[in-house]
Amino acid sequence: MKTLSLLTLTTLFFCISLPLSSVAMAKEDAGTTAGPIAEKDACCKPAPVVTPKPPACCAATPIQNPQSQIENFTRSSLYQSDGTFTDDSGKSFALSSLRGRPVVLNMFFASCGYACPLTVTDLLSIQGRLSAEQRSKTIFVLVSFDVTRDTTAALAQYRAQRGLDAQWILLRGDNDSVRELAALLGVKFKQEADGSFAHSNLVTILNSEGEIVHQRTGLQGGLAEATAALASCLK
Amino acid sequence: MLPLRQIPPSLRTLLAFVGLVFFGPAFAAPSPSLSTLSSQRSTSPVPAGMVLLPAGIYVPLQRTLKDAAQINVAAFLLDELPVTNAEFLAFVTANPKWQRSKVSPLFADSSYLENWTDDLLLGDQAPEHAPVIRVSWFAARAYARWTGKRLPLTAEWEFAASAGYTRADGKNDEQLSRDLYAWLARPVPPILADVATAKKNFYGVRGLHGLIWEWVDDFNTAMVTGESRADSGLERDLFCGAGSVGAKDTTDYAAFMRQALRSSLKANNTTSSLGFRCAQVLPE
Repeated sequence: MKTLSLLTLTTLFFCISLPLSSVAMAKEDAGTTAGPIAEKDACCKPAPVVTPKPPACCAATPIQNPQSQIENFTRSSLYQSDGTFTDDSGKSFALSSLRGRPVVLNMFFASCGYACPLTVTDLLSIQGRLSAEQRSKTIFVLVSFDVTRDTTAALAQYRAQRGLDAQWILLRGDNDSVRELAALLGVKFKQEADGSFAHSNLVTILNSEGEIVHQRTGLQGGLAEATAALASCLK
Repeated sequence: MLPLRQIPPSLRTLLAFVGLVFFGPAFAAPSPSLSTLSSQRSTSPVPAGMVLLPAGIYVPLQRTLKDAAQINVAAFLLDELPVTNAEFLAFVTANPKWQRSKVSPLFADSSYLENWTDDLLLGDQAPEHAPVIRVSWFAARAYARWTGKRLPLTAEWEFAASAGYTRADGKNDEQLSRDLYAWLARPVPPILADVATAKKNFYGVRGLHGLIWEWVDDFNTAMVTGESRADSGLERDLFCGAGSVGAKDTTDYAAFMRQALRSSLKANNTTSSLGFRCAQVLPE
C-alpha cells in the first residue's frame, strides 16, 4: 500500500521524557482521561455551537490582499499563523512580532526530565557561539506543550533556573495554538498518562521573515550547522 | 403476522421469554449506550447531519507502559457523513485564502484540491456529493472552525469507527471485516462514490470505512518510525523508553494502516484518498 511506503520516509527523533515524581503525583487522579479528553475540553472552548466564525488561520489574510492594512507575510512565513500565546511575564504574544529577527525555536515542557534540558543547554551553546552583535539580534523561543502545568509562573521559574537572558522568550498557549504550531514545525507530541510528553526533538531556525531555514533533529550534534544557518540569516 | 391479541396469554409470556433469551445478549452490550443516547437526545437535540456518539472506551493501538490502557471518550457529536466537494466549495467561496490558487504552501501542498477543475469549479473528477479529498489538515481544521465545529480526536474517531453495522463491537462483525479488507485491497478509484452510498454503522455514522481515510485533530500524536507490521517496538535509537512501547492487538490490520498513515503525514499534505468529517462537543 502507498501508505506503508510513505511510512519509511518518516524518520523522527523522539524523546519520551522521564517524569518527575511530583508530576506523576499531580496527574495521578486524572487517571485514564489525561490525554485526549483533557485536550478536548480545551480545544472545544473556542468553538461556538451555533455561530459559525471564520477559522483563526483565515482571520489574518495578508497575502492575497494588497489593500490589507496587515503586513504581507511571505508565502512560507510561519507568521501567517495567528496562534495566541502568552509569555512568562503574562503578556499576550503574537509570533509575528518576532518578524525582522532570526529566531531559534524549540518546543518543550518545563517539567521535562531528559531531552528538553539537554536541548536548552544546546541552545545556550549556540547562543555562546554567536558574536556579541549576532547575539543581540537573535531571539531564542521556547514554546511549551504543557498547557496545564506550564503557567506563566512556571515558565518564569524555568527562566530563572536556567539563567535565560532577555533574548529568550518563553511561551505558553492554548491547545489549538500549540497543536497548530507543532504541525507547522513538523513536531509530533503526545501526552502520556502520567502527564509528561513524548515529543520530537526538533530545533527550528527561522529567518527574519519567519520562514524555516534549518531544523536540527535529535539530541546529538548539529550545533555548528545550526549556528551557521543562523549566521547566514544575520548577513 | 399474527395479531398479539390472538396469542394465548401463556404463549405470550413464553414468546417474551424466548425473545429475551435470544435477543437479550445482542442488546446487552450496547444497552448502556442506547440508554445514554435516548436520555441525552431528550435534553439536547442533535444538529441535523450529526450523530450523537455515547460515552465509550478507546483502547489505543500502541502505547508505552506509562500510557493508560484505555481512554475514556466522553459523549460527542460526529458528522454522519464525510465533508463533500459541494460543502467544501461553499467554504472556499466564503474564504478565498483557501482557494486552490491562493492557499499558502505552508498550509496545503501542491496537490491541494487538484481534482477540481478550478478554484471554484468542481468538474467531472470531483462530483458534488463525493467526499472532498486532497485537503490538508490545516484546511480541514479551518473548514471545521468555519462551521463552528472541530476535527474529531483520534480516540473519538477510532471509537466511532470501532462499531460494526449492527453491533457496537465491530471486530466481531464479519460483514464489516469483509467490506473493510476488500476496500483496503482495492486501489483508490479516480472518482470517488457519492457519500450516500456509505452504509450506516451501529451508531448511525456512515462512511468511516470503505470510502476515504480521514484526518483527525491530533494526527501528530502518532509516532511510528518503521514498517508498521514490524513496529511492535519503536526504534531504540530514536526514542527514549522505546523498549516499553507495545501494541495491544496486532490482528487489527486496518487500525495499523490508519496509525501508519497518520504518522507519515505532515499537516500540509494532501492525498487522493484523504478527507475528513467534523465533530462537536455536546451542547449543554
